[in-house]
Amino acid sequence: MIDRLLSPLRSAWESLLERLIFLPPFPESIDTLALFSLLLVVGLLIGEWLHAHAGWPKVIGYVLAGTVFGPALLGWISIEALAQARPMADAALGLLMMEVGRRLDLSWLVRNPELLRSTLSDIVLSFALIFSFALLLVGLSPAWAAATAAVTMASAPAVVLLTIEESKAQGQVTERIILHTALGSAASFIAFAIVLGIIHAEHSEDWLNALAHPLWVAIGALLIAWGAAQLALLIARLLPKRSLAQVFVLVASALLAVGIARMLAVPVFLTLFLMGILLAVRDKHQTLRYTQLPEGHWLLAIILFVIVGASLPWQDFTWLTGLQALGLLVVRAIAKIGALAWSGGSLPLPKRILVGVGIQPLSATAVFMAYEIASLYPEIGRSALALPLFAAAIMELAGPALCRLALRKSGETETAAATQGGIA
Amino acid sequence: MSQPLGEFKHSEALTLGVELELQLVSKRDFDLTRAATDLIDSLKYDERYGEIKLEITESMIEISTLPQSTVDGIASDLAGLRETLRTHCARHNIAVCGGGTHPFHRWPERRICPGERFDNLYQRYGYLAKQFTVFGQHVHVGCTSADDAIWLTQALGVYVPAFIALSAASPFVDGVDTFFQSARLNAVSAFPLSGQCPPLANWAEFVRHFSFLQSCGIASGIKDLYWDVRPKPEFGTVEIRVCDTPLTIEQASSLAALAQSLSRWLLRTRPELHTGLQAHVARYNKFQACRYGMAAMISDPVALCQRPLRESLLELLETLSEDARELGCGHWLKALLPIVNADAGDASWLRARHNLHHNLNDVVRETTERLMAPTSNKSWEHS
Repeated sequence: MIDRLLSPLRSAWESLLERLIFLPPFPESIDTLALFSLLLVVGLLIGEWLHAHAGWPKVIGYVLAGTVFGPALLGWISIEALAQARPMADAALGLLMMEVGRRLDLSWLVRNPELLRSTLSDIVLSFALIFSFALLLVGLSPAWAAATAAVTMASAPAVVLLTIEESKAQGQVTERIILHTALGSAASFIAFAIVLGIIHAEHSEDWLNALAHPLWVAIGALLIAWGAAQLALLIARLLPKRSLAQVFVLVASALLAVGIARMLAVPVFLTLFLMGILLAVRDKHQTLRYTQLPEGHWLLAIILFVIVGASLPWQDFTWLTGLQALGLLVVRAIAKIGALAWSGGSLPLPKRILVGVGIQPLSATAVFMAYEIASLYPEIGRSALALPLFAAAIMELAGPALCRLALRKSGETETAAATQGGIA
Repeated sequence: MSQPLGEFKHSEALTLGVELELQLVSKRDFDLTRAATDLIDSLKYDERYGEIKLEITESMIEISTLPQSTVDGIASDLAGLRETLRTHCARHNIAVCGGGTHPFHRWPERRICPGERFDNLYQRYGYLAKQFTVFGQHVHVGCTSADDAIWLTQALGVYVPAFIALSAASPFVDGVDTFFQSARLNAVSAFPLSGQCPPLANWAEFVRHFSFLQSCGIASGIKDLYWDVRPKPEFGTVEIRVCDTPLTIEQASSLAALAQSLSRWLLRTRPELHTGLQAHVARYNKFQACRYGMAAMISDPVALCQRPLRESLLELLETLSEDARELGCGHWLKALLPIVNADAGDASWLRARHNLHHNLNDVVRETTERLMAPTSNKSWEHS
């Protein structure tokens, strides 16, 4: 469609080329910065419009923008443009994952062991129920059923963090949503690494990859994360706490980790999540503890969700897969809400259920994880992972709304607190 | 709606009760956080040491001891309440600290607690209610008669600067050093019924004055009077309300010891009161104590001169030592001497920590540790 629109311009340009020697050849692809700007403006406009007029979380608008303008519908964002924009998406997801890692306070589990029980039951129940559903009801092979469970078992850290920031939520439900999301993500990354080996074992006769690939991912991510965290702490120690210079050091170290992870084919989300945890754990002198990401990370987040929206394979949609994805989401919701209702650590039952609702989002990390696994054996992977991708596609729209609903019902958002007290 | 004043409930003479408003801060960055209702809703506690209650905003919590005849009893209740909070806050991943102000929180971000009373206050006072996220210690002293309570209210008014300077723990507001030792009282003085109790001779005059305020529509209940010292008829006490919440419960106990031994000495010796004259200098003297702490110059409207607060406080502590010994709180009163002699008060400690860290997040982190440390009143000497 774009080509058809551009063809008269291309002809005119080429006819001018002979006489105007300074003209470059007709640009065959959009410049990266221009693409960045377009994605940003389109996402921003739709996100802000939906937020202002329908009261929807902005993230939904960003994803819708990507879906509408992406390859599946209008095709204005081409597959090549998506590949070109991938480093920006990696940077955005990386920064958000680092932030979730930094917020993971493991000492809370020691002070409140009931939380450990509830998070373990969330992890075990989510994996077991989704695996059983994919294996027994959908009929996937054990390896791909495990991959489906690994990809979809956890909540979406980026969505959760942005929804919390957007609604300025504070309180126990909010804190526990962050904690369970972070711990669930950690568990899903471990499952993801193991699943990589299982997939290799199922599809390749060479056992070396089945062992080496999970190790490469896990140890590679850990080493890059450790190096980048050490570097950030080392330099930041020379600077005043909470200074702008420290913010730059934090962002630069994170981008360095993103770049190295990309170079070595180690998942960015895992590397930056580990970097966040290491930054929190190894920061004995509170060097970077109080340094926050700049407001500008919202810019990158918009790009991330536009790209995620454009990456969703709506063109492969069938009613059967759609129904199966809905079934997976119902099973997943039962697992999460059930686990939180069973044990929630010194929080009344209604609020525990709200925590269960708040951790429903499924988004960028799942999509990226699914593509990472699918790329191992593209001929099988793409169709085998249609189920988690469609589940993520549905949750891209429903997830932020559910998360915000939970925050509002708990009375922890700014607007809710101004009008009413919330449930006790 | 106006509430009747009610009868003055008679208490045992010189019994004590202490209320502390404490800060609820996030363990992530030590900024104030929304935590009070979550904490109270899931609190399983039998009130054996007193009450734990909501305050106006979600980042505050109030603990109040049971009525006690001795300062040791108060200290023991405060220690019990602190332990209860420690256990409970740990489960919620929240930290608690003392101090009169939070050094760097942004008041527009504060949330008003649910409840009709808090909602009414917010409607009536608007943004002042959110700016009222300041933290004080109130000391109740029991009185056997209503007339005694009014006399003691007037008599204690002269010593307001002493209580302010000894408890001062709010040098930072909005992330900056205010140059005040206690900046908290500036937030209180914005309220229309703050200030001093007017010169009143006895309970009957107080009742007349209060019904006059009610008739004018200024006050509906006794809680509307934000006086520095006020009678509290339903408890049968006089309430001293000017202290910042100290950084330790030991310091809070020492201030209770000062209130008890001073009240005993006043009621025993009944010095002549010059309430009319004192009313002219009260605001000035209060400002001096807030701004300069122990270095304040206090105006004496009777002798027509100014005296350094440090000098008169040293004399006062010496004068009260016998009453304190009789009451069994001499050791608590003695603990105030380093503050007078060496400026070793909480405001100085906060500034010293800020000079060390150049960062207020770290200062608040250390105040949370200071409140919870069992021997926290000794940590000054080592820091």
